[in-house]
Amino acid sequence: MRRGEAGALRASGVGIRWIALRTVGMCQTEAVTRLGFLLDSGACIGCHACTVACKSEHDVPLGVNRTWVNYVETGEFPATQRHFTVMRCNHCDDAPCISICPTGSLFRASNGVVDFDDSRCIGCKACMNACPYDALYISPETGTAHKCNFCQHRLEVGLEPSCVSVCPTRAITVVDHDDPADATAARIRTEKLPVRSPERRTLPKVHYAGTTPAALDPLARPVADDGLIWADWTGSAQWPTVPQTEAAPARTAYTVAHAEAWGAKVAGYMVTKGVAAGVMLWAAAASLVGWDDRAAVATGPAVAALVALAVTGVLLIADLKRPERFWYLFTKGRMGSWVTAGAWVIMADGVLVTLWGIGGLWAGSRWFAVLIAPLALCSVLTAAYTAFLLRQCRGRVMWHDRPLTLLAARLVGEAALGGGAVWGSLVALQANAVAFSWTPVAAAAVLVWLWRHDRAFLRAAQAAPLS
Amino acid sequence: MSTAESAPSPSGPGGSGPGGSGTVAGLRSAPPHSRWHDWTELDAASWPNRVERKYTLVPTTCFNCEAACGLVAYIDQETDKVVRFEGNPEHPASRGRNCAKGPATINQVHDTERILYPLRRTGERGAGGWERISWDEALSDISSRIRAAIVEGRRDEIMYHVGRAGEDGYTERVLTAWGIDGHNSHTNVCSSSARVGYATWMGHDRPSSDFANAEVIFLISSHLEAGHYFNPHAQRIIEAQQRGATVICVDPRLSNTGAKADHWLPAWPGTEPVLLLCLAHLLLEADTWDRAFVHRWTNWETYLAKTRPDLPPTFESAERALRDAYAEYTPERASELCGVDADQLREIAAVIGKSPGRFASHTWRAAGAGNLGGWQTARCLFLLNVLTGSVGTVGGTTGAGWHKMKPKPPLQPPPVGHWNEMSWPREYPLSHHEMSILLPHFLREGRGKLDTYFTRVYNPVWTNPDGFSWLEALSDPERVGCHVALTPTWSETAWFADYVLPMGVGSERHDLASFETHAGQWLGFRQPVMRRYAELQGREITSETRTHEFNPGEVWEENEFWIDLSWKIDPDGSLGIRRWFESPSRPNQPISVDEYYESIFAAEVPGLADDAAAAGQTPLEFMRDRGAYAVRGDAYGHHERTVSPSALAGTVLGDDAVYRPHRGAVSPTAPLPPLGDGSVAVEVAGAARHGFPTPSRKLELYSTTLADWGWPEHATPGWIPSHVHWQRLDLAGNERILVPTFRIPTLIHTRSANAKWLAEISHRHPLWIHPSDAEALGIEVGGLVRVNTRIGHFVISAWRTEGIRPGVVAASHHMGRWRLDDAAAAGRSDSGRSGGGRSDLVAADLVESARVRGRGPADRPRSSEKAVSGS
Repeated sequence: MRRGEAGALRASGVGIRWIALRTVGMCQTEAVTRLGFLLDSGACIGCHACTVACKSEHDVPLGVNRTWVNYVETGEFPATQRHFTVMRCNHCDDAPCISICPTGSLFRASNGVVDFDDSRCIGCKACMNACPYDALYISPETGTAHKCNFCQHRLEVGLEPSCVSVCPTRAITVVDHDDPADATAARIRTEKLPVRSPERRTLPKVHYAGTTPAALDPLARPVADDGLIWADWTGSAQWPTVPQTEAAPARTAYTVAHAEAWGAKVAGYMVTKGVAAGVMLWAAAASLVGWDDRAAVATGPAVAALVALAVTGVLLIADLKRPERFWYLFTKGRMGSWVTAGAWVIMADGVLVTLWGIGGLWAGSRWFAVLIAPLALCSVLTAAYTAFLLRQCRGRVMWHDRPLTLLAARLVGEAALGGGAVWGSLVALQANAVAFSWTPVAAAAVLVWLWRHDRAFLRAAQAAPLS
Repeated sequence: MSTAESAPSPSGPGGSGPGGSGTVAGLRSAPPHSRWHDWTELDAASWPNRVERKYTLVPTTCFNCEAACGLVAYIDQETDKVVRFEGNPEHPASRGRNCAKGPATINQVHDTERILYPLRRTGERGAGGWERISWDEALSDISSRIRAAIVEGRRDEIMYHVGRAGEDGYTERVLTAWGIDGHNSHTNVCSSSARVGYATWMGHDRPSSDFANAEVIFLISSHLEAGHYFNPHAQRIIEAQQRGATVICVDPRLSNTGAKADHWLPAWPGTEPVLLLCLAHLLLEADTWDRAFVHRWTNWETYLAKTRPDLPPTFESAERALRDAYAEYTPERASELCGVDADQLREIAAVIGKSPGRFASHTWRAAGAGNLGGWQTARCLFLLNVLTGSVGTVGGTTGAGWHKMKPKPPLQPPPVGHWNEMSWPREYPLSHHEMSILLPHFLREGRGKLDTYFTRVYNPVWTNPDGFSWLEALSDPERVGCHVALTPTWSETAWFADYVLPMGVGSERHDLASFETHAGQWLGFRQPVMRRYAELQGREITSETRTHEFNPGEVWEENEFWIDLSWKIDPDGSLGIRRWFESPSRPNQPISVDEYYESIFAAEVPGLADDAAAAGQTPLEFMRDRGAYAVRGDAYGHHERTVSPSALAGTVLGDDAVYRPHRGAVSPTAPLPPLGDGSVAVEVAGAARHGFPTPSRKLELYSTTLADWGWPEHATPGWIPSHVHWQRLDLAGNERILVPTFRIPTLIHTRSANAKWLAEISHRHPLWIHPSDAEALGIEVGGLVRVNTRIGHFVISAWRTEGIRPGVVAASHHMGRWRLDDAAAAGRSDSGRSGGGRSDLVAADLVESARVRGRGPADRPRSSEKAVSGS
């Protein structure tokens, strides 16, 4: 099976990445087990015992879940059916949460499980957007990302995960995909049992039996207008929504809420770092055409960009659920994550901007000529790297499936606009022309517009339900 | 025959049970029993750092429904605290697994709003004023009231009213020792009707269904999410379905059970007997019924003689009489009356006919509780068991009395010589259990009054249909002199008590429990886990040691409460009460809980003493270490067993082939037999056989009990149109049938409300309504509905679903708590709190608050209150 799957992996173009993942990081030895779950909706009675056993085992706070049970209704009376599906981390072989995790908090354990290490997590929430299954949440108690970790601490002492132990109908089975003698793994292969969102190509190791396709497809089963069977459904932005359509084959009667990962602060960061990048790009362009007014080309924009970068840093750190750990990005950072890479880009940009400002003050255009290429490149990167980050969010179709160039162009465009507004108003003020005294107001209006625009952009992608 | 039930392996739980998943690296579902006293695990929160934690594992019994599943408490040896509960793999019924309510027990233990100290009312009853008192004060006052009532011949004024006892026999023995008929139950709003249907067939008032081995599972219940006995039944029903059994569920609402069923039959409420008699008709017509069984084990001779005296007294005539009796129940007629598809009924009848002997069925509250004549549902359902010969068979259904075990307590006092007409009014000679629903009405009529009234896991103010009658009765000191609420948590009823005495939750008390969960017999032992933990840690447990020393605050257990109270009622033994509560080994000392259970385990549980000896333990230690015991023995065919000649000695063989004791040989003060009328055997096929505990000792196709008490027209399985039969309602107008009786998988009446993880999952209490009804009644999305019934109204939000029959609306009776104290109790699952209460709480306020607080989604209009008349 391994061989077959590896072949399929290569065919799908993700094999190499996957193999790489398995040979770096925590997985030092060759895997002899590759654990997953079979969730048998044919046996599941929707009793929520797994949910509560998990809460108990891990003392999961109220409002967040490592595992939960969806109720989905199909058909019309009297042919109505209700389907129960257990939802949780899929322990993907190609886990986007591991790829995006900036500090290696999420890692693959030697038994194939996607595990996490609280002591490394900075609470950046990127994993929540990377996961196509709504499997992760930020613990309100620790401020770190948690999810199903297969009860590794129980496996270690020879016990089944608590959801498996408690299940009255044996609907949850531990599967070892690497064990040729594992009957359940064989069943998964022969019956070609489905996984959730296979098109996200995460190679989930959680399979479903006895369910209906709509139960696995969040877009096929909106929550009805009058809510859930026995839980509140407020319809607020915190709850992913599906537009009601006449054609929807199914209705969600029970599910749990998932918080939006990135909100106002992240939208603000997109604007401020765009301003930093944009201001410097305009200044660089001005120097290119020979303008050497040092205040307008060097110190002015440099100071503005540094202020914008500082605000960017503040916003980014403030958005972390463990802000005091922000420096982990540099001490424990993984460059494979665009959260980490982005932090370095911003740092580098800050250095170049500082050099540009200081050097420009003394050396003028000669200095600009030396620094213009690195600065322009770094500014474009500062504006555009978020495109890579968004693309790394494999859970968000509206980001991940959009062409990189389009995302990058959008970000650079926004930077040019925001930076242009700020730089323009700087130059205008520099000119000390009364006629231009409205320019800071106009610049502020542009920034606010950009922020609202980015906020909506972020919200739109995150509002689509994943589970 | 032997049990086909899969038992836990004696060596340990790993990979036990069918479909076990212990294949991966030999994973176990629970720690091996041999290591329970000292189990090392890794701390979940510290992972991936390996931080070891040492636990002591102590078994006990869940209290969160009737099933009495096994739990194991994990007690941290460092902090001496219970950290969680998991399943008990030693438990024969729950087999190490639980529903959501099992692990949620830890919420109840650590509930921040639980009652920790005895409280006495200050101010008016129901006003919400409380003061903390000592247990001694409480016991002194209550015992002096009871003593005065007994001495003054007012024994009927003492009543113990229990909703869910969670134990078997202990408290009944206490009341018997006091010489009072003071037991009252919740059963009349619950299972009484079904019990009548079963008892008139087989003498046992409950079915024991062998789902695990059945080919056809027929449920007029929601046993995959609720009911007797949710988790043990669900395990076995799904096990059977996975190997090919057909599951049929009759319910107007798409319960989770209906959702899992191969056939969901949403019959109109009250027409279930029609559906069942149609299946009987089809079995008879297709000749797929078990003639030999019906001939051998029913009282067909009586049936024939009473219903068709015109026919010659042969079995062929009985067969003809049966065919004639049910000829009118054609699939077409059933389809018209029940609203289910005629061909689907034919298909189901064919499936049933194909599996003789392997038809397992169950009904409990459901249709029986909600309809006039609902008791016939159980009678008609069991007719299918009889016709298919699925009684006492592998995969069939048998009497609960043969699987449930009720071991004799030590020192059983003699039966009480009179009955309390407040509980057992003469107008209802066939009432199965006390007519408890009428208690407030009898008090209003002045039939009697209560001096001292105990409520225990009983919340009639909220649970019973006419809560305001209870509120009225409990508010009036002339009707109820002193109301003592024994409860771990606040409830609407406890709010109207004089004393609120905190009793332990499931892991803080001793009890015995045994239920007919499957084809097998077992006994479960609930124990206060911290007491056992202390014992294992080396603390000496003496006869002076009390459970409350180990419980939080001053939380007691009832066993010790009743012993102490009885001693205080009769301190010098002059009333003859004290002697039933004396130690067998220490003269003039109260019996200890250890002594009580040791004597039961040593002598009354077959095999237990031997198994304990083999393990090198006393029977009590053995049970404290395992929590449950499976009694060995044949689980099937009890009725076929021959009765030994010695047991027949002193009996007379009557004309009806029944062996009965000599007239005059029975002393009026002798204990009643647990089942039946005292007859011991019936002559069948040339042998004296055990038979059934009915008057004929056979299955009563014609119930002579019903006929003898004045209802000959209902002596055979038949249909009584319900008081809410759909054809009598104005469905074109705004009348609909209200189903107010269903449980959801996560909540259980009053006692689960403070389990935070359960309330997190389920906290909305809407009215299920079909979209077509919502449209016809003009109910807007997110709107409120006012439901008027014959006794009042309530306001509730609507949940439109295709999972309910048009014409029927439903609301669970396990949700929708009242908020008694706005100021203090802010939590949605709270029902009250001590201190700071409003003093003007009256019925009108509660109605008003229901209207005001009816919830719709927050962002939607909630002005659209529409009226529905439930019936």
